[in-house]
Amino acid sequence: MSRRIVGVLCCLLLVLSAAPTMAKDLQVGFVYVSPIGDAGWSYAHDQGRLYIDKLDGVTTSYVEAVPEGPDSERVMLNMARKNYDLIFATSFGYMDPMLKVAKKFPKTTFMHCSGYKTADNMGNYFGRMYQARYLSGMVAGSMTKSNILGYAAAFPIPEVIRGINAFTLGAQAVNPDVQVRVVWTKTWYDPATEKEAAKSLLDVGADVIAQHQDSPGPQEAAQEKGVYSIGYNSDMSSFAPKSHLCAPVWNWGPYYKEVVDAVRAGTFKPEAVWFGMEHGIVDLSPMSDMVPADVQKAVLAKKEAITSGQAKIFVGPIKDQAGKERVPAGQTADDGALLGMDYFIQGVIGTTE
Amino acid sequence: MNAELIIPLLAAAIQSGTPILYATLGEILTEKAGVLNLGVEGMMITGALAAFVTAQVTGHPALAFLMAGLVGAVVGGIHALVCLWFLGNQVVSGLALTIFGLGLADYLGTPLIGQTAPGFDKLALPLVHGIPVLGPIVFQQDILVYTAIIMVPLVWFFLEKCRWGLNLRAVGEHPEAAAAAGINVLRYRWIGILGGGCLAGFGGAYLSLAYTHLWTSNLTGGRGWIAVALVIFAFWRPGRALLGAYLFGGVMAFQLRLQAVGTHLPSSLLLMLPYFLTVLVLVFSSWKSRQTDAPAALGVNFEPND
Amino acid sequence: MLNLTAYKRQEPHPWSSCLVFLAAVLLSLAVSAILLKLQGKPALQGIELLFRGALGSRWSIEDCLIKAIPIFLCSLGVAIAFRLQIWNIGAEGQFALGAIGATWAALTFPDQPAYLLLPLMAVMAFVAGGLWGLVPALLKLRMRANEIIVTLMLNYIAILLLDYLVYGRWKDPGSFGFPMTKTFSATAIVPKITGTEINWGLGLCLICGMVMWVFFRFTRKGFELKVAGENLNATRYAGLPYEKLVCFVMITSGALAGWAGFIEASATINRLQPSIMVGYGYTAIVVAWLARLNPLTIGIASFLLAALRVGIENLQLELQVPAAFGGIMEGMILLTVLAGSYFNEFGFRLRRRS
Repeated sequence: MSRRIVGVLCCLLLVLSAAPTMAKDLQVGFVYVSPIGDAGWSYAHDQGRLYIDKLDGVTTSYVEAVPEGPDSERVMLNMARKNYDLIFATSFGYMDPMLKVAKKFPKTTFMHCSGYKTADNMGNYFGRMYQARYLSGMVAGSMTKSNILGYAAAFPIPEVIRGINAFTLGAQAVNPDVQVRVVWTKTWYDPATEKEAAKSLLDVGADVIAQHQDSPGPQEAAQEKGVYSIGYNSDMSSFAPKSHLCAPVWNWGPYYKEVVDAVRAGTFKPEAVWFGMEHGIVDLSPMSDMVPADVQKAVLAKKEAITSGQAKIFVGPIKDQAGKERVPAGQTADDGALLGMDYFIQGVIGTTE
Repeated sequence: MNAELIIPLLAAAIQSGTPILYATLGEILTEKAGVLNLGVEGMMITGALAAFVTAQVTGHPALAFLMAGLVGAVVGGIHALVCLWFLGNQVVSGLALTIFGLGLADYLGTPLIGQTAPGFDKLALPLVHGIPVLGPIVFQQDILVYTAIIMVPLVWFFLEKCRWGLNLRAVGEHPEAAAAAGINVLRYRWIGILGGGCLAGFGGAYLSLAYTHLWTSNLTGGRGWIAVALVIFAFWRPGRALLGAYLFGGVMAFQLRLQAVGTHLPSSLLLMLPYFLTVLVLVFSSWKSRQTDAPAALGVNFEPND
Repeated sequence: MLNLTAYKRQEPHPWSSCLVFLAAVLLSLAVSAILLKLQGKPALQGIELLFRGALGSRWSIEDCLIKAIPIFLCSLGVAIAFRLQIWNIGAEGQFALGAIGATWAALTFPDQPAYLLLPLMAVMAFVAGGLWGLVPALLKLRMRANEIIVTLMLNYIAILLLDYLVYGRWKDPGSFGFPMTKTFSATAIVPKITGTEINWGLGLCLICGMVMWVFFRFTRKGFELKVAGENLNATRYAGLPYEKLVCFVMITSGALAGWAGFIEASATINRLQPSIMVGYGYTAIVVAWLARLNPLTIGIASFLLAALRVGIENLQLELQVPAAFGGIMEGMILLTVLAGSYFNEFGFRLRRRS
């Protein structure tokens, strides 16, 4: 009798333990640098995670607000030890910790966002947000009357600097007299400070406010003053319907699906990919009715040219603030120069420190 | 910089100083009763969330503001419970309250990310708003700025002239003597903590109802800590708290405007300015003045004598 | 009529404090379990995941120890200042300065052998952290400036100074413009204890803890400090050198936090970057108080708090609980442990009242 019970129990146990392995889901882990409640960067990646979570045979999980450094290494190790098949880490500072973990777990696939190092089982990826920034600059440059554009930005890191330069180039393309003033807030999400930064730009005469922050604080400031604004991360028109012209936006979902499919098919290659608008990772949100039709047409035409690969953004001659030539006439800046961009171009007022 | 820049700068100083002012006044009240509460940040952010949710659900910003005060007081009540009844260490309890409050607000607030709520708009006061210079700086703000300014003499009056306030101060100076004189020490400390929590909640509400009309995690951005520092800076006097809060807000607004005008100074060094100045002013004023109004029994728990 | 009254115990019972601690932790775990249940997550499994993530395997215990090292050093530092009733809440800034000092040495003399470079980094961290602690001490003594506010403001300034350096002159040209220094040379990295992932910072912790224990137990200065801290008025009557004591504790306090910064930069990150600042300086205050400023209990409390944070990560990963839940749990545990300590010092008796 008791033996039979033991037998049944053993069978049950076997079934229970075998059940997950029979149809093993692809386990995907995400590591975020801020809480997804930051409404910006991590939120956009989490939208991507939810996109692949809906796929059959994929389960996802995430750990948020993980500081770069030893904590992130521990979180990734924990995921790898639990036999996660694919791990995404979405902040630059996760690069070296991820590399260390990748070497210890050769069977796991690692994907790092915004870095440059790769390994046999680790790729990196990023989006050419500067393309959408350029387009938003065209819109801003066409709409300004004072020829002063304000830009509230978080930290002077290359991604942000590149965005400001591209925005400026776009604005200059339609309005050569335009200048872009930059204020650093040194915070990613503190809406009150970001709004104050935007107000300080309005006070010096800016009449279009762009931003590289995680909150719509700057949009509010622009709407209160009755001037235009350019959003970021996601379509922010609901926050400032009377002010919001357009926004460069992230859309990670489709790319994450590609990676998942590649890992499942066993065709994953550890590459460094930097996709642009042609891939849909970055885009420009629909422009508001306040943008005149001819401007919209010009912007969409440029978008078409960028998407098809005909038009490049950082085409010489490009001079920095001091007048030094950074990209010679007729040449296009290569990806290395773009990744490490640490100078402002002429027409930007502010410092990169 | 010319007048066109200075007037908005001073107006911005008042605006960004206001949330800090509410919280500082609250902490003065608490500390005057002899209780140190380092949980200001936690009470502020839960207050901010409560205000945001209430405004969104009911559509009444005034109700939302009061709700923030209530929730701030309730969260402050945890500190009172731990320190007054269970005689827990006030420093740890306050720090724990900050951790707890930030976690709670973040946790409950996540579904609200990316939404807006009705709040207070600018309200130019009749007659006085037209006064040159002073009008645009002080009298074209939102209503919560005015209530904050009114709070300053109110708190002062309460502490200096009101019988309850005098008892509360006595409790903060010599709890044993106060108890001997028949004052219920714990009751007044409860009042100090709950009042402080309420004002901190108001400060949070200012951020989610007036300064901005949105919710994200970390909305308070460390302003509660500035308030704790400003209490000492203000020598526990409401008038100096007003000065300190506006000065701090002003320097913050100034460094942003300096960047907007165009400067070659690195932004990290510019951001040091408000903190550096706070230390400088504190050092100078402590050196000049003979006495501060520090409550003698600050941070010391009152043990029941039986 | 029955009436419950509290009375103060003469001598807190050694076992009762453990019992009360356990009861308080159990209570907050129970509340956390209920919160988990409310979210529709398995409550008991959640608690199990928390424990397994922190203490369930050799590597997780190692992880906890690694994380406990900086908390312990900072906490030991603030504890010595608190002994003298100097409210140093500036461990965060002193930690930053220690990291800056050590990094300066690592970047300036990258080619020196480890037996020269590591001690030099330690000395620089000691000096930088100690000086950052000395500033508020001097301002307090000479200008009567309150140390709470000065240390708090110096935290912000120190972090911005670190920012300034890594965004500016110390930025690695090979980092594609990201704010971080070069990776330290191999000789500037504190090695790991053989056979484990733990770095020798743990050894530093043991030595510092022992020295502190011996100092308070057997030395004259330690005795003076204890006396002065328990009764500031007695200090003046007894002719104790109060000013020297204040400078001494603040330098020591800053230097210990500085060493924590040195270990973090050298052993765990291998470079200086802004994300080195994760708030250990503030955690340290909580730990020091919970441990009643005793070096041994500080060690235990640092480990437990580190374990809690590591465990919550596991809970997040397995159950999709937001990170904020960790804050709620941590706050709750601290508050209940704090409230619970009341039952150590006070007993209850039933009294009949006529």
